[in-house]
Amino acid sequence: MNNNENIIEIKDLKKGYDNGKIKALNGMNLKVKKGEFISIMGPSGSGKSSLLNMIGGLDIADEGTIKVAGIDMMTTKNLNKFRSKEIGFVFQMHNLIPNLSVVENVEIPMYETNTSSKDMRKRALELLKSVNLGDKIDQKPTKLSGGERQRVAIARALVNKPSIILADEPTGSLDSKTGEVILDLLKDLHKKENVTLVMVTHEPYVGNMAERIITVLDGKCLSDNRTTNSK
Amino acid sequence: MSFLSLVVKNPFRNKTRSSLAIVGIAIGIMVIVALGMITGGLESSTQSTLKAGAAEITVSQAGSTGMESSGSINQTYATDILSLSGVKSTAGILRASNTTTATTSSNSTQGGFGGGLSITGIDSDKLSLMSIDSMNGTAFTNDSTDQVIIGKTEAQSLNKTVGDTINLYGQNFTITGTFETGNFMTDNGIVMPLSTLQNLTSNQNKVSDVLVKVTDNANVTTVSNTITNAYPNQLSTSTAADSANRINQGLGFISTASWAISLLAIFIGAVGVINTMVMTVYERTREIGVLKAVGWKNSRILGMILGESIVLTLIAFVVGTVIAVVGVEVLLTLVPSVGNAITPSFSIYIFLRAFGIALLVGVIGGLYPAYRASRLSPTEALRYE
Repeated sequence: MNNNENIIEIKDLKKGYDNGKIKALNGMNLKVKKGEFISIMGPSGSGKSSLLNMIGGLDIADEGTIKVAGIDMMTTKNLNKFRSKEIGFVFQMHNLIPNLSVVENVEIPMYETNTSSKDMRKRALELLKSVNLGDKIDQKPTKLSGGERQRVAIARALVNKPSIILADEPTGSLDSKTGEVILDLLKDLHKKENVTLVMVTHEPYVGNMAERIITVLDGKCLSDNRTTNSK
Repeated sequence: MSFLSLVVKNPFRNKTRSSLAIVGIAIGIMVIVALGMITGGLESSTQSTLKAGAAEITVSQAGSTGMESSGSINQTYATDILSLSGVKSTAGILRASNTTTATTSSNSTQGGFGGGLSITGIDSDKLSLMSIDSMNGTAFTNDSTDQVIIGKTEAQSLNKTVGDTINLYGQNFTITGTFETGNFMTDNGIVMPLSTLQNLTSNQNKVSDVLVKVTDNANVTTVSNTITNAYPNQLSTSTAADSANRINQGLGFISTASWAISLLAIFIGAVGVINTMVMTVYERTREIGVLKAVGWKNSRILGMILGESIVLTLIAFVVGTVIAVVGVEVLLTLVPSVGNAITPSFSIYIFLRAFGIALLVGVIGGLYPAYRASRLSPTEALRYE
């Protein structure tokens, strides 16, 4: 897949909860090219996270079409393989496993890839060095600062070399200075690894760092604007 | 880190809860192993009563239990029975107990299984019919009036050895030998010449039983029937196999009780494990959501939780087994009358059974929480607070 091809194609996507009383997505349309960095913005309950969950294969839509990395998300049954291969998640709350060391946390997604323990460790160490945590590999997450934890989560998201990183409010639990560092790191990795970065945020200054800003309201795409960061 | 290492590491995230679960299951395993060791020990003791060389048939007065103390039949039966077909050798024995005057010259320890000294009188050349084939020291001579031999268990209980004296019926006897047959009843007694015991208990020419050894090609049941047919309403017989079967029947009850306790242990253990693992799954709901998000298959999550449950129960197996082995040994040392009578069994079967039960508890206890974890919706799990 080259950079001119759409890695995400969503058409008239609908998703309801509570027997359809809550319409999280109500005719969403979106196309994202490979290697793009987009931010999805909108107020609480607008459907940002639902959209992210559909793209990541964590939830299935009720109607419409959604294709991610060439996979038809509406008909494919076994999405865990897709998630393992194509998607890297970065959550607002880093969601690291507390009893495992930093390096063991990064290795977690590789269990489904038939990688040997030795190669798992090698890959995890490489990534931890790239996020400047090479000296904290044996620490438990509880001993790390918020920013360091989020860097571990980013390393974990990249460990299987995914084509898309889905970041849900990645700076939401960080102070603004640490948040900037994390955003710079995400941008750097996006460029270096040519990975598509889809970031959900409600903070305008964070959203403005992307190449495109998608504004979502009532489960629909309200606007789609290119920023000055656009290539 | 391998997946197996992860499974082994995870149960210790909440050390207190895991330790309590392990203790609960370990108690069940301990009971299963300890009962198995004791029952197994009793069973092997029973088997030793069927040892080659020993008498196969015990002849008693008709209507008696066959374990009479004092003489109840004429000694001449021993000679009479010898002439019957299929009989190789016979020995009249007199059983007596010395419950009130059982004191020794060096101390006043009351020996015997359950108190009192069990004394048997038999001719020294017939000792093999009581399974006494070898001994430390020498046997008494038939015409001696002050010599006895003593079973290993009784000797330990009374702290006696060859050359010591023992006071029986107000008279000092020298211990000329100690023996071990493997039968806890025999090993827990004293044996002296038949004529001496007959004189001491005023049972001249009387015996309690006649032990009968059959010829090599004879059928024990046929010979037994021949004896009862020859002396109808006078003598009754019991074979060693009958006695062993009676004891085995009793042991069967213990064995059944042991299984019932095992089932109870499985049930209680499984409930404990389910509780522990359900709590674990609740606490780690968000983590399970993350594992699903990074691509873990449902089967891997099921395997992880089930594996953690099995790790808990296998640790409990090790802890319970160690406590049972040490506990039984300590108990048998602290209570010598029981300890000397029972040699605990270390049969691999006992430990395999306990291992199997531990594994079963792990699987049963872990299955529901593991299934529940594997079926969690990733989005709901990630939202879990």
